[in-house]
Amino acid sequence: METRDGDDLDGRRLTRRALIAGGLQAMAFGVIGVRLFQLQVVEGQRLRVLADGNRVNVRPLLPRRGRILDRSGRVLASNVERFRVWIRPGDRSRMRSSLQRLAPLIGLSDSDINGLVEKARAQPRNRALLVRSGVDFQTIAQIGLRAPELPGVETDVAFDRAYAYGVATGHVVGHIGGVDRPAMDDEAFLRLPDARVGKTGVELGLERDLRGEAGQTRIEVDARGDLVRVIAESEPVSGRDVILTIDAGLQQRVLDRLSSEVRAAAVVLDVETGEVAVMASVPSYDPNALTLHFDEADFARMERDPHKPLVNRAIAGLYPPGSTFKMVTALAALEAGVITTNERVACSGAFAFAGETFKCWNRGGHGSVDLADAIRKSCDVYFYELAERLGVDRIAAMAKTLGLGQTYACGLGGQKDGLIPTTGWKLAVKGERWLRGETILAGIGQGFVLTTPLQLAVMTARLATGRAVVPTLVRMDGGPRGPGSLFPPLPIAAAGLDAVRRAMIGAVHAPDGTGGNAALDVGDVLIAGKTGTSQVWSSARQPAPRDDRYELRDHALFVSFFPAASPRYAVSLVVEHGGSGGQTAAPLVRDIARLVLAEAALAAVPVVESGR
Amino acid sequence: MRPMATAAGGLRVLSGLPRTHWAVLALVSLLCGIGIATLYSVEGGSFQPWAERHGLRFLVGLACILVMLTVPAAVWFRLAVPAYLTALFLLVLVPVLGSQVLGARRWLDFGFVSFQPGELMKVALVLMLAAYYHWLPRERVSDALWVALPVLLIAIPAVFTLRQPDLGSALLYAITGFGIMFLAGVSALYFAGAAVALAAALPLIWSSLHDYQRRRIEVFLDPGSDPLGAGYHIQQSKIALGSGGVSGTGYMKGSQSQLDFLPEKHTDFIFTMFAEEWGFAGAVGLLALQAALIFVLWRIMMTAGSLFAQVLAAGAALTIFLYAVVNAAMVTGLVPVVGVPMPFVSYGGTSMLSLMAALGLALSAAADRGFGASGRPWNGRRSGV
Repeated sequence: METRDGDDLDGRRLTRRALIAGGLQAMAFGVIGVRLFQLQVVEGQRLRVLADGNRVNVRPLLPRRGRILDRSGRVLASNVERFRVWIRPGDRSRMRSSLQRLAPLIGLSDSDINGLVEKARAQPRNRALLVRSGVDFQTIAQIGLRAPELPGVETDVAFDRAYAYGVATGHVVGHIGGVDRPAMDDEAFLRLPDARVGKTGVELGLERDLRGEAGQTRIEVDARGDLVRVIAESEPVSGRDVILTIDAGLQQRVLDRLSSEVRAAAVVLDVETGEVAVMASVPSYDPNALTLHFDEADFARMERDPHKPLVNRAIAGLYPPGSTFKMVTALAALEAGVITTNERVACSGAFAFAGETFKCWNRGGHGSVDLADAIRKSCDVYFYELAERLGVDRIAAMAKTLGLGQTYACGLGGQKDGLIPTTGWKLAVKGERWLRGETILAGIGQGFVLTTPLQLAVMTARLATGRAVVPTLVRMDGGPRGPGSLFPPLPIAAAGLDAVRRAMIGAVHAPDGTGGNAALDVGDVLIAGKTGTSQVWSSARQPAPRDDRYELRDHALFVSFFPAASPRYAVSLVVEHGGSGGQTAAPLVRDIARLVLAEAALAAVPVVESGR
Repeated sequence: MRPMATAAGGLRVLSGLPRTHWAVLALVSLLCGIGIATLYSVEGGSFQPWAERHGLRFLVGLACILVMLTVPAAVWFRLAVPAYLTALFLLVLVPVLGSQVLGARRWLDFGFVSFQPGELMKVALVLMLAAYYHWLPRERVSDALWVALPVLLIAIPAVFTLRQPDLGSALLYAITGFGIMFLAGVSALYFAGAAVALAAALPLIWSSLHDYQRRRIEVFLDPGSDPLGAGYHIQQSKIALGSGGVSGTGYMKGSQSQLDFLPEKHTDFIFTMFAEEWGFAGAVGLLALQAALIFVLWRIMMTAGSLFAQVLAAGAALTIFLYAVVNAAMVTGLVPVVGVPMPFVSYGGTSMLSLMAALGLALSAAADRGFGASGRPWNGRRSGV
């Protein structure tokens, strides 16, 4: 190998110095390694105890959930205390001896004890294990007294939700459940396994009021996780009690009446205050089955049930309103000036438009009809003509004015919007141009139009009062709003509203009205109403299938307000696949009206003070 | 340079890359991967806000290295003086324009980018010394004048950083710089003299230190004196390490770290966090990876074709070594808390990129076998061929 003196010298010097520097580096790594060995292996045990020993635990204290009451103070949802016994394992022998002393108090078998000890093996030793839930208070007190000989045993209280009226108020009150996916910005206590939040109904809609605020206790714990001392404690703030506008008794009676049907929903509104007096959905469910007496199989069965008992049809059932929508079309036409109350339209039983034929329900035709005739007899052709003159957007505007196609901040979670179609909606959602034939269907509440029973009740209340009634389930300050705070009037001419109201009285009380079955047989109370029979399967353009399967039958609807002279209540009712509105829905509304009036008469009786 | 030529050159360079180079890239990737996993655990199982950005920076750094590999060593050689002067200029600018973070002015904010010029200087200084010794004739290495010059090159930035105040970086400049001088063959007598002078000057240095620096050293000597104050970091770090034991508490299960007893666990104390969750075995494994990286760089230094590449490799190795060892020594309570990251694992953009740049320079210069063949490489056996 050829070498040069200088380079050789440099090369050797570098190798020497590189070895020295490398050696120093290796030594430094060695020192660190020894230090780690000392800290992690030799002193590990001692430092681990230190790590556990200086631990401060923050334990959230769950707030008590607010109660839910009905309008007369009956408790619909309340909290039931459930005492629980826990054990913090510590070491295995301590755990076993504690459990053996605990056994006679709460009745633990040897296999229970073995099972718990096995379980403790699979988890951190300072995490508490549930021993028994639902222990009575005397036993809890005894455990407290004997605490010194039961190291590691802890007791606490959890709250279960009980729904006193069960099925009757199931959908309105709703139920609570575990937190599905706690978000990071949620309050910390929601991440606890015991935390419960509203899932449906008022429990969901008024969650903020009902929930309350968690407290917390900062405690110092020792290496086993046992309490050493409480450092600081802040009490939880209980949730607010909520008083609802519904009447549990009336609700129960209406639901009983409705249970003759397979699937149905009804809403009764106080037209002056917007208070929801009854909200019924059939089939109903017992929320206790989802909380107090939770049963996995029961829940699965309810979820699978084709009649969907967990769905509140009054707010989440979407139905074409059918002929109950005709008041909307009528008022839109009167406001737009495309018709007068006196103008007559000839009904031959069918309406020809752009090469298509739209049939009237009465194939024989209604002859020459004016507005009152058309609403009373529910003539389809008259409204086809109005719809064609109006265009869908003006119909939609009136539908919105009357409260359709929207949800209300009434305290209920899970409301559906429904659908009031417009040309803009179709372009935006379906990307297609609006067809004029679709306007004709919309004019009689078919085609794309979808509403909920709550919306139909609001529509009826607005027709009855001419005011922008907004429904509510929460009773304000325990009483109805005063006369000074009526809802603002709707921008609709009084004459038109009057004509429509008179026609609705005719629909029930005139001999040729379609809603005759709703007429009350008590007193001289007049009822105003409108039938609706909405087609599920076919549009008016296609003949209904010859099939009589349940799912293909028409929905039966009825909307009504009464007493017609000075309206107090608005009712909407849908019987899913119930057949005809006049045959199925009208009699049910009559019975509901009777129940409501009876209840009102009862409430109107002045309470006699019992003091003598 | 035309882009096409660069791309073609890049491919050629990559295909001819020695095995040592691949080893460096693999080890760095492994360490960054550990960093990402640990940062994910720091946030209790979230890529936000640390892990994702750490990974992004790693990819940017890796791309930089690959681009740097295509640049001939002569370019880096010519860049040495301008780079050093620029870094020095920015360092001087910090007290004037810098923004204050936690009581220390270390950052320059240019609106679109903010960084610590101190980190830039670490790369520039190594580059400067590499160029210097490459240029300096062999026989003059130990001449007084030619020893004084590099000492000045090291001392000027060190003094400026010390005044920021950033004791950690100042020491790092000094140790890396003098380490390079030692490897370059400067007579041992100078080092012996410096050691004596340092011992004599210790009281003077002590009096010139900032209060917090003195406090740290005091607390370090007796951590129990202030368990909830300055000693808290060290104490909690030790407890966390102990809690990890031999096999660790398990990934994402470090009780000390997850329960927030540990401070700065995404930056300076990330090694503690890792060591708690992976135990003694994991901690030793991580340090072994760092040691392996340094060893490979040492190999590159021994076999590089030019003095320039050798000094750059030595500089990169020394920087990584100092970071890793000082960080580990700091969290295990062996040295005072000085704020040095665990290379490639700690979260921090500037330190990651400056380390990547140092590696890129060393790998690039070492890959250019043509550069400096006529120069005076340290290793005579290779130059003679």
